Amino acid sequence: MASMNQGSVARALVIEDINVDRVILLRMLQKLNCEATVARNGKEAIDLFLQGKTFDIVFSDQEMPVMTGPEAVTKIRAMGATEVKIVGLSADFGGMEAFMRAGADVFVPKPMKLETLESMLQDVIHKKNMRG
Amino acid sequence: MDYSNLRRQAASMKKSLFDQGYLDEQFCQVEDLQDEASPNFAEEVITLFFKDSARLISNIEQALEKYPKDFNKWDAYMQQLKGSCSSIGASRMKSECMSFREFCGQGNVEGCMKSFQKVKREHGVLRQKLEAYFQLLRQAGPAGAATRPGM
Repeated sequence: MASMNQGSVARALVIEDINVDRVILLRMLQKLNCEATVARNGKEAIDLFLQGKTFDIVFSDQEMPVMTGPEAVTKIRAMGATEVKIVGLSADFGGMEAFMRAGADVFVPKPMKLETLESMLQDVIHKKNMRG
Repeated sequence: MDYSNLRRQAASMKKSLFDQGYLDEQFCQVEDLQDEASPNFAEEVITLFFKDSARLISNIEQALEKYPKDFNKWDAYMQQLKGSCSSIGASRMKSECMSFREFCGQGNVEGCMKSFQKVKREHGVLRQKLEAYFQLLRQAGPAGAATRPGM
């Protein structure tokens, strides 16, 4: 596995209500030396942004109680968080349109491969380093 | 105790689970997330899966009874279960979840009921098999962790 230590650590927000999926994604992020914060639904995610928390990348499930992933993505973008990379996740391909319309950058069908995640994080870190 | 023999048994058991279609490559992805810092990660995830899936199955069972022909509700619950099955590589169980969702899409109550029984059956069988597998791994000791089937 390529080293993620390129002078910067990615800060990820994981928005996921399914315990198994959340635990697996968090473990993958841990293995890739990524700092991760958890929200169990879209509203918890929005609350984090309202508290002034910032992230380099957001991973959001689609269907969640209280507030769905696409709803949260719409609000995140409306709050002015246009730089953060947002990845929509769903076991159903039908989620892609909803996420992209809401303003997500990319849709990845579940389960996500570690190699895919590593590639996304490398891209985020590279852009972060470029911004200085 | 012959630990190498136990490890061979565990590898053979895992290969069998793959050959019979109970598990797919995603299970190996989960096992690959284990390391010295998290040596029991796969078993922890599987334990979590069976805890959550038992609850979801109970929810579906109640929904089938309390909300007759509410195919949207039934489908929503099963979508969650199917997602969890995908995440751990529970291939046969995932297939039965998909069948149930197809019957929901068709508005086929009898199909849903029969399919749900299959989901429960696959859940029970998979639980037994994975419990036996992890028990064997524990007996085999730390070196008995992830090997890809057929290797």
